Amino acid sequence: MNDFDLIRKNLFRRKLRAILMIVSILVAFMIFGVLTGFYRAFTSGEDQAAADRMITVNKINFTQPMPIAYFNRVKAVEGVKQVTFANWFGGYYQDPKNFLMTLAVEPASYFSLYSREFILPPDQLQAFIRERTSAVVGEKMAEKWGWKVGDRVPISSNIFTQKNGGQSWDVTIAGIVKAGTEQVDTNFMLFQYAYFDETRTIAKDTIGWLILQTNAPADNDRVAKTIDAMFANSSAETSTDTEKAFGKAFAAQFGNIALIVLLVVGAAFVTILMIVGNTMALTIRERTREIGVLKTLGFPGPRILKLVLGESVLLALLGGIPGLVIAALIARTLRNSVANMAPSFAVSPEIALLGLVLMLALGLITGIIPALNAMRLKIAAALGRG
Amino acid sequence: MRSLLLQVAAVTSINLKSLPQRRWLSLSTVVAVALVVVVLLAFLAMANGFQRTIAGSGAADIAIVLRAGSQAEINSTVSRDQVRLIEDGPGIAKGSDGKPLLSPELYLVVDGLKRTTMTKANLPLRGIGEQGAALRKGITISAGRMFSRGANEIVVGKALVREFAGFDLGSTVAFGATRWTVVGIFEAAGNVFESEIWADLPVVQSLFNRNNIVQTVRVALTSPAALNELKAFNDADPRLKLDVKSEAAYFAEQASQTSDLIQKLGWPLAIAMAFGALAGALNTMYSSVAARAVEIATLRAIGFGGFPAFVGTLVESLTLAAIGGVLGAAATYLAFDGLTASTLGGNFTQVVFDFKLSPALMGQGVGLALIVGLIGGLFPALRAARMPIIAGLYA
Repeated sequence: MNDFDLIRKNLFRRKLRAILMIVSILVAFMIFGVLTGFYRAFTSGEDQAAADRMITVNKINFTQPMPIAYFNRVKAVEGVKQVTFANWFGGYYQDPKNFLMTLAVEPASYFSLYSREFILPPDQLQAFIRERTSAVVGEKMAEKWGWKVGDRVPISSNIFTQKNGGQSWDVTIAGIVKAGTEQVDTNFMLFQYAYFDETRTIAKDTIGWLILQTNAPADNDRVAKTIDAMFANSSAETSTDTEKAFGKAFAAQFGNIALIVLLVVGAAFVTILMIVGNTMALTIRERTREIGVLKTLGFPGPRILKLVLGESVLLALLGGIPGLVIAALIARTLRNSVANMAPSFAVSPEIALLGLVLMLALGLITGIIPALNAMRLKIAAALGRG
Repeated sequence: MRSLLLQVAAVTSINLKSLPQRRWLSLSTVVAVALVVVVLLAFLAMANGFQRTIAGSGAADIAIVLRAGSQAEINSTVSRDQVRLIEDGPGIAKGSDGKPLLSPELYLVVDGLKRTTMTKANLPLRGIGEQGAALRKGITISAGRMFSRGANEIVVGKALVREFAGFDLGSTVAFGATRWTVVGIFEAAGNVFESEIWADLPVVQSLFNRNNIVQTVRVALTSPAALNELKAFNDADPRLKLDVKSEAAYFAEQASQTSDLIQKLGWPLAIAMAFGALAGALNTMYSSVAARAVEIATLRAIGFGGFPAFVGTLVESLTLAAIGGVLGAAATYLAFDGLTASTLGGNFTQVVFDFKLSPALMGQGVGLALIVGLIGGLFPALRAARMPIIAGLYA
């Protein structure tokens, strides 16, 4: 019988107690996996932000429009490699509850700038550029509504009114966009700005924001200052920032999500730490006599330390790993329903790794005091006490 | 019957008095249950505070007119012609000068800096008509004065001043190229208007290039019932095509989405954590029964029944859970009640609200704790009741 067998047999000597411990550890790691997964997805905009990409918005607030003339003026700024722009549409399909993340864009420059993130077959891109009333949808959105290339769908806006008095625009689907990297969310629709601008009744010739790519991240600061200085004292002053900083500021608006996540995960862990720690102490105290026997047989102190710590670590792993697996399953099930707020919600490898580290820590912390006590135990006292 | 009750009382008091012997294990159950309650109540207090701030903002005898399908003020547009048509609608209260009491309003989003994090946040700038302030109940200027008509002056809600930097009385604020002076601070009984900035409608329209366009019209109704008359009038005129709803209904809709979301997050989390705490409680109680095996067997041997042993164990478990529940509720009250927070509301702007713990919510927290105590005590109690006397005596 090797040490591992000993550890395993010790752990399951009281089956019910071991199972209870495992369940509570499982719950803690399930909460940890789901919440950190959600948190990561929520802030993933920051991670996928390219270092050389910047966003120019109206200085008053990013929901205020800017003249479309800014597009060409920014394009001419030295250090700017390419520029595109977008306008928020406030889209929905048939019922306002069916929110569609829809942007009006200039097709060629938009896909050129996001060539790494969005994959669209060249013939579909050409069709999108050619047909004024065409649109492309992300894979996820197409799947959700069962849309195929060539379908004609009416999309409504909760902001804009059509020239013909209605609130809906008819678009033909010219292509389906695939994600270029894991983090990219494809729950969106893009349609032609030219068609949108011509048919809307308010805010004509304005755009929502500009996205620009600089020659190198080192140019970012200078480019931002040049652009903002160019429009200073005009009727629409601008604010240019890196994509990352912009995303971060936006996420911060929802309130202190990081704090809430930390609070809940922390509370769950403290609870479990206490329960498991106490039980380990109890278990070892019950076995005092037995440890005395082991020592009498010649087991050295460090080996006993190893046995006890091994038991608590095994307990943590037995509960923690299934907990993370369940968290991954939950994330997969919920993925679509939270896609608007937190795209690519998943228990990523990094989270799993962090989870493993936490399991080891949990095992060591809960086991260390009983293990030290067991190691230091005097044989005479142990045998006498039992 | 009487003797059974006496037995129950005796065993229960023995159990409770022996609690200090199992001090650490019992304490860990108490703290575990308390943490579960803290997490649940923190979420519920957040949802409740948000709900109260927004839902408390609406009146039943004020109608709000928006573009059909727009859902929130920020998405709506109403033309000047439509405003004129509404002015002639039925059911609208008249002022002393005989004019209808209404306020066309323009709702814009501007940037502010949050004091705690110094990050940018979306703040609402509302251009209001002459009657704008009068159409909202409980508005008082607590410092300074109301803006003058036609001037670049703003008045700012108390909650907004508290949460966001740069809006103190007398300071100058720049929105794009234009500068505005803060001339007054207003209170609005803690409701959502306290998170807003108000200015004169024509000034806002011209400085933001929104001439002739407003987003909503607020109308004072002669009575809450007059809403239907106004609705019928709107539906009958093809030029209007607007949504008419009571302000109370509008805000109730706005509040429900976010507070639902918070609650839907809070309960599953609390229940998941409760399972963890349940494992702890079961463990504690089984240990308690094991530790008292000799005692229980002795009592049985001298004629006590199984039922008192059952009740005694269950009461011990419920006591620990109740202590945990009350501790958790008290801790949440001390740590979270009244805490100010802000988040994006239905209009894509920051809503400042306070965490608000009500007795009913505390009841829910203690209720969850007692459920943990009940289930955690039930099985160990059954074991205590069924323990064979001989085995117990030899334990």
